[in-house]
Parts: sequence; structure tokens; C-alpha cells
Amino acid sequence: MPVPRRNFMQLLGISLGSMLLARCQRTGTPEPTFVMCYEAVPYTPMPGTATPTRIAALDRLRLCWLRFDELEQKTADARDNGDDGWEDNPIGAARNAEHRSALDALIIAGRITAAVGDLVQEAFSAAVYHIWRSNVPMTCYEPMMIDYAPAGAASLVRQSDTLAEIAEGATIAPDTLTKVRSALEHDLAYYALTDAEVQALFDQLLKEYQESGKEIPSFEELEFTLTPDVKAAAQFLLDVLTGK
Amino acid sequence: MTHGRPRIQSLIFEVTQRCNHACLHCYNVWHGADGAPSDYPRGELDTERTLALLGKALDETACSHVTLTGGEPLLRGDLNAILDYLRGRNLPVTIISNGRLLGETAAVECLDRGVGLFELPLLSHQREVHDRLSGAPGAWDSVLEAMANVRLHHGRFAAAFVATRLNIDHAAEVMKLAFAFGAQAVMFNRFNPGGRGRANLDLLLPTADQVRRALAAADTAAGEYGLPVSCSIPIQPCLVDTTAFPHIGFAYCAAGGARAYYALDPIGNLRPCNHAPQILGNLFEESFADLIAPARMKSFVEAGPAFCAPCARRPDCQGGCKAAAQVCFGSLGDEDPFLKMNREFAKIPE
Repeated sequence: MPVPRRNFMQLLGISLGSMLLARCQRTGTPEPTFVMCYEAVPYTPMPGTATPTRIAALDRLRLCWLRFDELEQKTADARDNGDDGWEDNPIGAARNAEHRSALDALIIAGRITAAVGDLVQEAFSAAVYHIWRSNVPMTCYEPMMIDYAPAGAASLVRQSDTLAEIAEGATIAPDTLTKVRSALEHDLAYYALTDAEVQALFDQLLKEYQESGKEIPSFEELEFTLTPDVKAAAQFLLDVLTGK
Repeated sequence: MTHGRPRIQSLIFEVTQRCNHACLHCYNVWHGADGAPSDYPRGELDTERTLALLGKALDETACSHVTLTGGEPLLRGDLNAILDYLRGRNLPVTIISNGRLLGETAAVECLDRGVGLFELPLLSHQREVHDRLSGAPGAWDSVLEAMANVRLHHGRFAAAFVATRLNIDHAAEVMKLAFAFGAQAVMFNRFNPGGRGRANLDLLLPTADQVRRALAAADTAAGEYGLPVSCSIPIQPCLVDTTAFPHIGFAYCAAGGARAYYALDPIGNLRPCNHAPQILGNLFEESFADLIAPARMKSFVEAGPAFCAPCARRPDCQGGCKAAAQVCFGSLGDEDPFLKMNREFAKIPE
């Protein structure tokens, strides 16, 4: 099923936001201190919420993406302190405004088109919402918090064992049990690949490309059902965050 | 006239008031306590008018999610048209259903139209208990098949456990069954009287002690299976020390705030939430912003029982569910029935 245009940018934003929160970011220093992805890093707030306007728009844009830890921490603090207004996500709204302002400056300067700017803003807003949403409690009848990670193989094996145990003692319709087992088997087949098997799969794909004399496709050539604007927006965002 | 598009996190759209089950715990505001209809307005619009209503709600708000509920939403013959419309607006959709009509074809049709989550009831691991609470023989088999259908076609569902006196001891077994069927999460909703349910207050409303025991069992199961569990119906911290259950999320009323979940009925009446019988006005006649203006929501937002006045947790807890207090005792400022029943055991947090 093709990924809708907006969903792609939202997912990209959420993914980048999550990675940046985990400190999977370029440090930009000549001899970068090594910060391992997923390694716990003490919280160090970025200075002030108001970004000086004299900073170049590109840097302001980048700063917005690099300050998610501040959004996360302040949202959690406001919630824990019972501060008024945290439900309205004022920090997120401020970040969105700063990001939009930087984008508008880049649009005026002719660096990106308005359409690309809107898509980049879409990605940022999704990341802001995701991070805020992950740090506020649920409310009555609110949709469930869904774990973005797929069920792991171990969990699926456990599910399968539990289902077998239940099936023995209950009178669940056989057709229903067959369907659940089929779903489990499908997921197990997909997720149960070991690292070695995944590598083997990649190796096989590479070999097939090489044997057919074709180059490995670039990002631009991949057959995403994405418009040129979306590709441009995604590439622009990656360039900004990698300092290109 | 209020200007601007209010941001709402989720809109609950009651697409129909019809239902093919007769749950003992049903909170639908159009049901009277004695089994007869209440004086709440009833009706349903045709597809064109329904989409116009939904469109107006979405045009006038910055809404990031829609939940379709009822009644039983799958009784709407034009449900696919509604889903197509929402998909066209790029909105994530949840369907709250009893699962009776969620056969494989219906499940595929919904999933193809972008339904991201189904909330399906799982009231017991025992067929007879689930069927009795649902007021419908065959309900248990149907909902398990519905879960299997969703799962088979790579959809997601959350199992909703309504904790009543009749099934509260089944919480752990329900969690196990939900896990085995591939639930993404479990909602542990203690019975919240309203609609038909208020006639069954004595039969169904659990004690605080029963809820504590069930939560302990659910918490253990949540940890064991790695299954997210949330208590969507408020549980007052003075009755249950919620910090004792680290695997469970506890929720409180969000009415009037940025995370409110306004309920829109099939004919355009807007309410503070799906439990509240109080109609703010009709969306065909006024703008969304006007309907939820602070002046109109004031009585709902500011209400709270006198018992809670000295409590430090009052800003969060708000005394529990005001809608249930209004339905059962006639006033938003009265006590939530769960609080009233268990008040003698309350320990007000400092």
C-alpha cells in the first residue's frame, strides 16, 4: 500500500525526532565526542526558549530539531509540577512557530519552495506532537498509546504458547483459532529473522543487482509513491540535520 | 461569535444510536435507566448530511484524530463512505465496536480505508459471562472472531475490559486472552454508570477493594506479557493508590482542555464527552468554537463534589467522572457513583 504524502513526512519527522532525542546526531565538532546511540546522556538544557533572530535561518531551523530534549524535559516537568497550561503544549507551539519562521525566511530567500517548506513543517509538527504526547498522561477514552516498535519475536513466541494453552482449556471456535494462528505464523516468519538472516537477505539482494549488471538504486530512484516535493523536502531535512 | 479553529486531539463521532447488543453496563446517553429511551434526541442523517456534518466539524477545528462509535458503528450501511471521507482528510481513525459485524470482509474493508485501531470489548475469558454482560448470546464468539480477523489482516486492536462486580475477578485471565489474540493494549475501564447501566448500579458497580485487587492482577499480567494497560475511566487516588500499579496508566477527565474528546451525535448535537448527556448545542446551528467556548463549558469544567475540596489531587482527578454524577444523581457537582459508594474508605492524598 503506498504511503500517503503527509503520512510519509509525519513518519519521517517522528523518526528523526526520536533519533535526535536518543542523541543519534552529528555533533559538528572537529573531533566529535562519541555519544553512542541509545546511551543515556545527562540532560543539558539548551539556552533560552527564544532563538535570536540574527542567527542564520538554516541554523535556527537546525536548532529547532536539536532541542527536542528540552521539549521532552519541560513537558514532563510541567506535568509533574501541575503547572497550568501544559496540556496546551505551549513549548511545542513555540517550537512550531520558530521552525515556521525559519522556514519562511528560507522560502523568501529562494532556498526552498513554499510547498517544500510546508512539508518540512509537517514533519517537524509531527515530531513535536509525538514527543509531547509521549510525555503527558492519558485521558479518559483517549486513543491508546501505541508502541511504534513491532512485536518482537520473543513476544510472538510467548503469544503462540499462551494461545496454545488457552486453546486447550477453552471452547474457542476452531476457525477463530486457525485465523489467530495464521496471523501469528505470518508475524513470526517476518520478525523472527536473526541478524544473520537479515544480512543474508541483503547480501542476496546485492548479489542479484550485481549479477544483473545494475547499479544499486539511489534514494531518488527508489520507487516510492512520493511526489518530487516530498522527496525534495525529505532530502532538504536530511541535509539540514547532517550539516550539508 | 468566536473566531479561530480550536485544536482538539480527538473527536468522538457517534455515527448511529442503533445497537445489536444490550450491554448491562451501556452508558449511551439515549438509553433510560428503565430500559425505555431517555428524552435525549434520537435520529440519524443520510450519508450526504452525515458527511456534511463531519466536514463542518473538521473544517472548524484542528482535529488530529477521529473515533467512530455508536451504538454500533458497523450497523451504518454507509460506514465505508464515512471512512473514505476521513481517509481523504488524512485523519487517523479508531472504531469502537462490539465486534459482532466485524467479519473478515468488513475488517478488510475498514483496514483498507485506514482504520488504525479497533477497540473491542473483552469482558471475560468465560463465554457466558461476556454474553450476559453484553446482553447478547454469541457476543464472545463474535468478538474473538473479530479480533482474529483484524489480526489476520495486520490490523491493530485494543481489548476493552469493563470491570463490574460480575467479571472483575477475571481481569488477569482477560489480559492473558487478549495477549494471546495479539491485542496492542488493554483498556481496564471500571464500570461507569450511565444510560442503561445506571439501572444496574447495585449489580455492577465494584467496590474500591475489588478494583484494587483486580488492578493488582492486571498489573502483574501487564508486566508479564508486556502489554500496555490503561484505566480510561477515572479511578480516584483517594480510593485506590494508583502508584502501586506501575504497569498501568491512569487517566482523568480532560473535558474542556486541549485534550478534550468532544462527542458529536448522529444528528449534530455536541457534548463535552461521550458519557455526558449535556448538549452544548447543535453544530448545524453554531460553530464548533462557539459550542465549546469557555462560557458554555464553564459549568462542566468547574463542577466538582464538595468532598474533594481539601484534596491536593483535585485539579487532576476532579472527583472522577462528572458525567456519571450528573446521570445518576442529577448534578455535575454531585459525587461520581464510584466515589459515593466507597467514600467511607477514602484517604484524601495530601
